[in-house]
Amino acid sequence: MFNLIRKDIVLQKSTLLILLPALLVYLLLNTSSIWVGIVFSVVIIMNAFANDEKTSIHMLLNSLPYTRKEIVSSKYIGAFIFMSIVVCIIFIGNLLIHQEITAWKDILFMVSLVMVAISLFFPFSYKFKSQYMFIASVVFFAIYLVVVNFFIPNLNDIMREFVQVLLTVQTAQLYLFIALAVLTLYACSWLLSIRIYERKVF
Amino acid sequence: MQIIISNSSKEPIYGQIYAQIKKRILTGELQEGQSLPSMRQLAKDLEISVITTKRAYEELEKNGFIYSIVGKGSFVAEQNLEMMKERKMKAIEETLSMAIQNGKEMGLSLTELKEMLTLLYTEGE
Amino acid sequence: MENVIELQHVHKSFDGFQLKDFSMTVKKGFVTGFIGGNGVGKSTTIKLIMNLLQPDSGTVSLFGLNYKDHEKEIKQRIGFVFDENIFYENVTLVEMKRIIKPSYCNWDDNLFNYYVQTFELPLTKKIKTFSKGMMMKASLTIALSHHAELIIMDEPTSGLDPIFRRELLDILHDLMQDGEKTIFFSTHITTDLERIADYITFIHNGEHIFTKEFYRIEEDYAVVKGGMELLDADTEREFIAIRKSAHGFVALTDQKARIEAIFGDMVLMEKPTLEDIMFHTKKGAEQYV
Repeated sequence: MFNLIRKDIVLQKSTLLILLPALLVYLLLNTSSIWVGIVFSVVIIMNAFANDEKTSIHMLLNSLPYTRKEIVSSKYIGAFIFMSIVVCIIFIGNLLIHQEITAWKDILFMVSLVMVAISLFFPFSYKFKSQYMFIASVVFFAIYLVVVNFFIPNLNDIMREFVQVLLTVQTAQLYLFIALAVLTLYACSWLLSIRIYERKVF
Repeated sequence: MQIIISNSSKEPIYGQIYAQIKKRILTGELQEGQSLPSMRQLAKDLEISVITTKRAYEELEKNGFIYSIVGKGSFVAEQNLEMMKERKMKAIEETLSMAIQNGKEMGLSLTELKEMLTLLYTEGE
Repeated sequence: MENVIELQHVHKSFDGFQLKDFSMTVKKGFVTGFIGGNGVGKSTTIKLIMNLLQPDSGTVSLFGLNYKDHEKEIKQRIGFVFDENIFYENVTLVEMKRIIKPSYCNWDDNLFNYYVQTFELPLTKKIKTFSKGMMMKASLTIALSHHAELIIMDEPTSGLDPIFRRELLDILHDLMQDGEKTIFFSTHITTDLERIADYITFIHNGEHIFTKEFYRIEEDYAVVKGGMELLDADTEREFIAIRKSAHGFVALTDQKARIEAIFGDMVLMEKPTLEDIMFHTKKGAEQYV
């Protein structure tokens, strides 16, 4: 299974060589490192996912001595590794460029959001295809716009405040709770993906 | 060892191989104890399936022309000419007695049968 | 004789298609050719054998092991050759090898290099620039480089020119020399089978029609030609399918000896090709519905 993760990294080599320096540029420009981190993590992870999405590649992977469980698990573990790389670069980048240590709360927030996103994306993509993800996002965005415009005009402000509140809350208990909730979601998504993939027909 | 097979012949391919090897053994071209190519090698050389050469070798073995040793291959068996002669004699006896039987049913006498035999025998020469 | 592949009472249904009580075996040390028309279940069967599909009921076992408990062990011992590109397109053959190599315990670089040379494959060109023939050679190279005991090929000769098809058969003959390897492949090009196949497995409409030694087909089946006056309700029943015309009939039988006994010299008997058998069996199935 380690080989499957290594394969993803090898295949992403060129993508990583372009994206990671770009990440540093963004950090230089003083953009919010949290959002940049989330976007880069998700893009890299979903790119690795999309590489393997063709039916023929599923046939290749399944003809090699791996079980379907391992193929799915390699994606979940790989996602974690890619995210860690992004986090490390942000941490080191901030340290070198701005001489500041990234707040652990920021990192926790970023990691949590990426994991939640992946937990939703992976099972969806295993069930359908990641191309449909685009359609799903458009639909979601339309609903979001409708909600913002007609029902809760200040939704964006509420969310922004909510995030601010979250980041300023001091109780460690709350963070522990969030971390546990995210981990549980990730684990459930992992199991769900295995179930979906085991029944998949190529 | 030369073996020539024809894909368009009515005779099955294993039959062609059988006949050609048998002929070589009977004419003494292949000597007792001489080894034959392995089934798989022969199949490769003739560009035919292994099962075809296997069938040919099995028939040859069944009829006592060759013998096989597991892991070593197939060899030409000792040809007992006396026994082969005996077998032939027995076959002749059988066909003759069938002819006699038929003749008796028609009421032919021994002389008549003998005459017929002489006629056929000389005709064939 | 040992069976390398064994399917027992397998059922699998999709929309508008099903495999019905499908049982078959593939014998160790031999080449089995898998024939049948389009859409009769050949690919489905191969996918079942490779565990790309699971049967609704029945069992599939390889080397006497089932996929449920021994998936990795089984796949270590199989080499697959597909008729389409199953590799990543934007990598070279060397990179593809680097990706696949660590998956197999018995990977042999010398063997890989040998086949790359024999097939004259470019190592540093992107796989997406490969022609269909090269793709198949690449697929075969990967499949042969880990000392697989069973080689499964889906339509391996379909995209190849006649010269390489002959060379391929030679390579397969070489593989078969030690008697330990088994080859199972599906094909449309039935003339290839005459040169290599030991057993023929014929499938039609999701049903296993027969698995026979190649020479047995010639012994059992015959194309029978004769005048229309020979046919009546009784004699017609002796055939699998009959094609009638103003000039007489052409029919297929799987009981050559019986037809010989019934008609004697009144009919002409010919050695059937596999295509004859496939064609008439399909017509027969349509006639007697």
